[in-house]
Amino acid sequence: MESMSFFRIIKTGFVNFWRNLWLSAAATMVMTITLVIFAVLFLMFALTSYSIKTIQNTVDISAYFKVGLDESQIMKIKNDLQNDPRIKQIVYTSQQQAFDEFKARHANDPLIQESLNELTENPLPATLNIKTYKLEDYPGVAQELEGANYKDFISKVNFEDNRVVIDRLGKILRFIITFGAALVAVFSIIAILVIFNTITLTIYNRKEEVEIMRLVGATNWYIRGPFLTESLLYAIGSTVITSLLFIPIFTQVLPKITAYVNPQLNVFHTNLFNYWFLVLMLFVVALLLAVISTLLAIGKYLKI
Amino acid sequence: MIKFQNVKKRYNDVHALEDVNLEIRQGEFISLVGMSGAGKSTLLKLIIGEEKIDGGRILIDDIDISKIGKGDLPYLRRKIGMVFQDIKLLPKRTAFENVAFAMEVCGHKKEKIAGDVPKILDLVGLLHKRDHFPHQMSGGEKQRVAIARALAHRPVLLLADEPTGNLDEINSDEVLDLLLKINQLGTTVMLATHAADLVNKVKKRVITLEGGKITKEQKEGKYQL
Repeated sequence: MESMSFFRIIKTGFVNFWRNLWLSAAATMVMTITLVIFAVLFLMFALTSYSIKTIQNTVDISAYFKVGLDESQIMKIKNDLQNDPRIKQIVYTSQQQAFDEFKARHANDPLIQESLNELTENPLPATLNIKTYKLEDYPGVAQELEGANYKDFISKVNFEDNRVVIDRLGKILRFIITFGAALVAVFSIIAILVIFNTITLTIYNRKEEVEIMRLVGATNWYIRGPFLTESLLYAIGSTVITSLLFIPIFTQVLPKITAYVNPQLNVFHTNLFNYWFLVLMLFVVALLLAVISTLLAIGKYLKI
Repeated sequence: MIKFQNVKKRYNDVHALEDVNLEIRQGEFISLVGMSGAGKSTLLKLIIGEEKIDGGRILIDDIDISKIGKGDLPYLRRKIGMVFQDIKLLPKRTAFENVAFAMEVCGHKKEKIAGDVPKILDLVGLLHKRDHFPHQMSGGEKQRVAIARALAHRPVLLLADEPTGNLDEINSDEVLDLLLKINQLGTTVMLATHAADLVNKVKKRVITLEGGKITKEQKEGKYQL
């Protein structure tokens, strides 16, 4: 008996959707627009925060030692620095390593290879590559390395300050969050109102039927069910349309952007840009909009 | 079966029912008479839980219906059939489908519906019009389909609110005969009407309402105000 009712509720929902096809199409389209805006903002947000992380990882300090300096002296300085609570990681590259890496990097350039062979002494300095925990500690550490303590050992401190870029990206991110949240809120309200009106019209169209259903003893959920089914169809429809629209973005656009930001990463291998995660999220948003607006319409116009 | 104990119902300042005390026994045929606005429809609506009482108690088989939750009201309504003056058939459904609709919404299986509906249509004498739409039937026939729909759940009580209000004499007689037949088969019938000749033909219990109060009760009565 229960499964029979369930089947009839779903069937009536489909019939309602079909009988008011134009209204249904309008409701689905408004919901689709909301979902597209939501998806674009979500991707922009994910992309920006991902870029910030990537750029943060590129910030470091390179300290070049004077050529011919004893390795034990360098190790002493390295140990000193390792005790600094601000410093996260120090990578040491010896003169020989630097030379080998340089040679390997230019293995295909016969001119460089030839010049290297001519050399009697390794001109490349040993380096320490330093990363701090916090972005704002970089200038301080760089200054210290340039200071009196290390003046006799370190010839040059190279610090690429990307903080301006990071700061700018942070601002963009905050803008996306505030502007995006407002935009999503506005369109959510529009979508809720349109679905609310559509369901209200369906209730009005089926007024007689609903009245008779009540009188012959249909349960409350048997009466409400078809309206919820109808709005569920809007949610499914708009999720499918939006998901299809985003396939080219995932296959064509996003890989190019991420390749630009970080060439080592494949977009489909990061959780951040998982397509199915986006689809699921869109469906949850659509479902929320549909259920909220339908319950509002039912509560207001469907007397049980 | 049904007891009204000091029942009160108000619509804003209007007293629709005042201190109504009434007992309806199983198998009875009761004519509820009175002028328009006397409270007949209100009394019927209270029984099916369509309206809430403002005082007193209504007991159906010793259950206080004001204590029945919204979720359980549908199950009460399946035990009570109701027909109206404006008939309320679905215009785009045939006689068969209109009756079947009542069974569908309560979750009956297709096979049961296919078996039961023709029997009910036969009872109201309209099996031959099973595939007719409401606009293809006379007023009396439509009302008989509505009665068939009310009988779909085999109710113990049938409430008829001015069922002949829009019908001519011949059609009214047909409907009345059908209500009497249903009563003979064991269903309690409550007929609210202001058609005097109809009540006079029935010669059963008559309750007269006036200004929301019961002013007269006759065991085998006539229409009297």
